[in-house]
Amino acid sequence: MTDLLDIRGLTLGFRGLNGYTEVLHGIDLSIARGERVALVGESGSGKSVTARIILGLLQETRTARVAGRVNFDGRDISSMRARPRAALRGTDMSMIFQDPTSSLNPTFTIGRQFAEVMRRREAGLSQKACEARATAMLEEVSIPDPARVLSAYPFQLSGGMNQRVMIAMALVNNPKLLLADEPGTALDVSVQAQTLTLMQDLVARHNTAVLLISHNLGVVREFADRVYVIYRGRIVETGPTAAIFDRPGHAYTRALMAAVPRITGAGLPEVPEVSDDFLAPMVTHPEAT
Amino acid sequence: MALLSVENLSKTFQTPRGAVHAVRDVSFAVARGECLAVVGESGSGKTTIANMILGILAPTQGAIRFDDHALPSRRRPEHRQAIQLVQQNPLSSLNPKRSIGASVRLGLDTYGIGDRAGRWDRVAAALEEVGLPPEMRRRAPSALSGGQRQRVGIARALACEPELLVLDEPTSALDVLVQARVLRLLNDLRARKQLTYIFITHDLAVVRNVADRVAVFKAGELVELGETRQIFTAPAHPYTRGLIGAVPVVDAEELHLRNTLAGEN
Repeated sequence: MTDLLDIRGLTLGFRGLNGYTEVLHGIDLSIARGERVALVGESGSGKSVTARIILGLLQETRTARVAGRVNFDGRDISSMRARPRAALRGTDMSMIFQDPTSSLNPTFTIGRQFAEVMRRREAGLSQKACEARATAMLEEVSIPDPARVLSAYPFQLSGGMNQRVMIAMALVNNPKLLLADEPGTALDVSVQAQTLTLMQDLVARHNTAVLLISHNLGVVREFADRVYVIYRGRIVETGPTAAIFDRPGHAYTRALMAAVPRITGAGLPEVPEVSDDFLAPMVTHPEAT
Repeated sequence: MALLSVENLSKTFQTPRGAVHAVRDVSFAVARGECLAVVGESGSGKTTIANMILGILAPTQGAIRFDDHALPSRRRPEHRQAIQLVQQNPLSSLNPKRSIGASVRLGLDTYGIGDRAGRWDRVAAALEEVGLPPEMRRRAPSALSGGQRQRVGIARALACEPELLVLDEPTSALDVLVQARVLRLLNDLRARKQLTYIFITHDLAVVRNVADRVAVFKAGELVELGETRQIFTAPAHPYTRGLIGAVPVVDAEELHLRNTLAGEN
């Protein structure tokens, strides 16, 4: 079967006051159905813009120039018209953002926002049906009192609760692909750990593929089947999670690993100097079969 | 001798829905030159404690002693100068309309450090101390990277010649490579200038590698206080074990440690 998402030779540039700046220099990335893939890199490396291109948002920005092929579920997103592309968002693909409280609308109740999401898939869904589905979904993310949460506003709930609501909302339409941009980094470690277990559990049950965008290597190791490491708009290393963590092959990946403080207390992490080696060709680990 | 000690400190906030006990009967001391990590989840009272130490909030009960004197709840300038804060997000804590240099200089003018003519030299020296070129003083915060901004935040605090730095999540907004450099810088500065740190964070992997001792807070109470090594090898409180067990780890050794600790739950 073909991959759910298949990106080939993706480039992105912005037209600005200083001329044209290219930020993605030809990215290849694929995700199979139900697969959990992580895209790791530092701020400015191009990980969030990649997610925005997959969602089809940057194609609609006038100053952005997107080239290359982005195939999603057998269709090329970049050549699609705006309307059918917009129809994919919130239905076949959905996104979880970094800070749950600020990505939910503070002026509407959770229930109303849930209904809006569900009606993207089924326009005529009745109030009652919406409520029932939302309740079931909130139960799935282990929210003890769904009725109370549905009638609450986001600011009345804790960050951890809002995070669960976001996950429930993102998965309520049974998307084929979930994009998660640094989920839970705005939260406590324990809530973050819960969020990850919850997501892991849910996507396995619904056979949802996930693209996890993160700079936290620990989170990536615990969540992903496969990893792409991105540096300055280029993929520098890719392979199964275990292979990358056990035998990082690229100088940049090794620098990243060395910089993570360990709970075993090996002292302050090494401070690798930025070197030309970071721009070395991509290292590909064979798939574990 | 303890540089700072907190004795039976409590803070209660009155809200329309009743009293909230943000901090309850907390006592600890920080020795000169020591780095004490304060850890706990949101709502555990970490920031309230920091605010009381900084004199931003007055304690409901208890006392704070600094350099063997009781600190009044209305601080005098010399107290404010001696205890400085480094905030989490340098982009929101630096005035966007003020140049880097003007922000760093503000403390010097406020506390009257050095003579007027020499203050720009002090600003330049503070920037150099944190590894930034002195010419950077003319720039606006928006022109700097995250790591550079956090260095400015540190330079701003250092320029006031403090004895104690309260570091509130100083590296959690930074990328790992940048975080590693800033942590090194903080460590070097502490050694070189005999500074004392209160390091507030929820990143236990960072704590393990920078702190001498760790204070663990839960719902406003101090549940465990001990040497860093001991906290990470034999945590006494189940809450501490839970926190360490939730840290996402990257290598096999760490995983082993985490599993061992979790097994004791």
